[in-house]
Amino acid sequence: MTRRLRALLADPTVRPFAVLALITIILGIIDGSRGRVLSANTAYDVLQQFATIGPVALGLGLSMMVKEFDLSVGGVLSLAGCVAVMTGETNPVLGLLLAIAVGGLAGLAQGSIMTWLNLSSIGVTLGGLLTFGGLSYFLTGNTTIAFERLDVALAVNAPVLEIFSVRSLTAIFLFLVAAFVVSWTRFGRDLLAVGSDRRAAIVVGIRVDHILIAVFVISGALTAIGGGLLSYGLAAASPVALADTLVPGAAAAILGGVSLSGGKGRPLGIAGGVLVLSMLRSGLTAIGVPPFAHWIVTAGVLFAVGILDSEELNRRVYSIRHVYRW
Amino acid sequence: MASITTWLESIRQDKASMIQWAAAVGVVLFAVSTPGFLSATSIRSLLTTVSFIGCVAVGMTFITLSGNIMSFSIGASMSATTVVFMMSLTLGLTPALILAFLFCAALNGIQGWLIGFFRANPLIISMAAYALIIGGAIYITGGRGIYPLTDETEVLKANLGPVPGPLAAFLIAVIVGQCILSFTRFGRNIYLVGTNPRAAKAAGIEPWRTVMWAYVAAGLFTAVSAVLVAARYRSGDMEHGIGYEYRAISAVLVGGTAIQGGEGSVVRTLAGTFFIALMQGLLILRGFGIEMQYLLIGLIVLAVIMLQWKGRT
Repeated sequence: MTRRLRALLADPTVRPFAVLALITIILGIIDGSRGRVLSANTAYDVLQQFATIGPVALGLGLSMMVKEFDLSVGGVLSLAGCVAVMTGETNPVLGLLLAIAVGGLAGLAQGSIMTWLNLSSIGVTLGGLLTFGGLSYFLTGNTTIAFERLDVALAVNAPVLEIFSVRSLTAIFLFLVAAFVVSWTRFGRDLLAVGSDRRAAIVVGIRVDHILIAVFVISGALTAIGGGLLSYGLAAASPVALADTLVPGAAAAILGGVSLSGGKGRPLGIAGGVLVLSMLRSGLTAIGVPPFAHWIVTAGVLFAVGILDSEELNRRVYSIRHVYRW
Repeated sequence: MASITTWLESIRQDKASMIQWAAAVGVVLFAVSTPGFLSATSIRSLLTTVSFIGCVAVGMTFITLSGNIMSFSIGASMSATTVVFMMSLTLGLTPALILAFLFCAALNGIQGWLIGFFRANPLIISMAAYALIIGGAIYITGGRGIYPLTDETEVLKANLGPVPGPLAAFLIAVIVGQCILSFTRFGRNIYLVGTNPRAAKAAGIEPWRTVMWAYVAAGLFTAVSAVLVAARYRSGDMEHGIGYEYRAISAVLVGGTAIQGGEGSVVRTLAGTFFIALMQGLLILRGFGIEMQYLLIGLIVLAVIMLQWKGRT
């Protein structure tokens, strides 16, 4: 029984969910019988945060799985939000589709530049972040644009079955599709192969360039869906308000078992990572911890994973043990 | 035919600096032809604001050169330093200055140690530090600014003759930074570690020490900017440094410092800073809003990064 449990916990997709259960139990015990943590309200809150961070974390996570890093998500998120709000007045679905197209095109442009000129993704997407951010300033004229369709704004966030909403259901759907594609299709296998060992992938005949471009297109489109729906829900689009998504997105992705060295991680694991981060944030707020705790928790996660994932940790720990005889 | 190919090859070899020279000359000509550009007030105000970003960009140059791309936390650590400086002013100006510099150097030095010693990912560690600084600042200040009721900081607003004070500080920072890079062993180690950390290790250099001190240097240059900004606005506020990390890395990259490290200089960052400032000034004078500036800076950075292409492998 314990062996099976241990094997289960070693699975990187299961681990975030185990952490999630642990955190929920701990927060529930701290909360006692006041029912602030284990309530439909908190669950709704967690899922709303999941909807905000999730698509960005998934896009970023997919790019990390192929050993690249899509820094442009913050810029694409703002740009998509602005496009959706500015074009979706009469037909919100059309506005969202346009936003997705813009996000996909942004990814296509960056992926093509990267593979065509053989540049590092960090450099190109840094340029992309500034360009798309600038483009959203340009489109909105540096002001907040109000979204006149309040009915849509309400509908996007209205509780469905008490704990879900259109926004969070969309995010869950995106994760399920991504999980299916990565685990069950040829594209998914090629993607993991490119991330694990790029040379070997080239040798066995995978079109690495195409996979990389596709990953960045998907990342851009996913981020655009998240940004579009978020702006609909806020009934406003602003070039600045959405800037703080890169850090929680990255934290969630690496919590979900994605490694910066590529090839590791699965979409469902990323979903677990996002849920852990959202649960920590909502749960801490629910038990009355002031909002700065969000940031400290995010920082703790990033520091922990950043150090545990570092290249020389084992060597350093080994040398400390043997030199200083700890 | 052969001569054309060799000519093209020579452009390809040094295309980045050639295109940058051409762009710089073009922008200067355009600036001089813009009515009102050479008026003293517009240039003075432009030079003052650009100097704040310039000092941070000098610090960022050390991080980029040492092979660690960029720091996401440098703007937040600059803001936090303005808060620390203004809070410690009750102890007197000199202790407050020392505290501010120590604080900013330590804040970045710790990140440098983690990145250097464990070879942790510089982006993740600086994002973590960003989150920690923001959270810590909200805890300590409650998200409000610090407005001390002393005018001790007025000294820091003094000008050096006709030169605005911040500009003088920026130029001194550039000279000091470039001298460190060009004439000290630490400076040469930064280039070596940034180009190839393994080779540096084989040559008997401990890369982690170099990386850590590069971050400490970045912190010190950032503190210069923090102190000047705090004195100018007479406040310590987490709002001061918002976006500085992106503006600083833009200046570094536009100057032509390679994003993968090991290639570039502080003087290049000076050129990049002034190039961006010149573009911004021109856009304002020609009647464009701030939104056009953001877009153009993004496009310029993207173009400069594309100029660093390495060819097909």
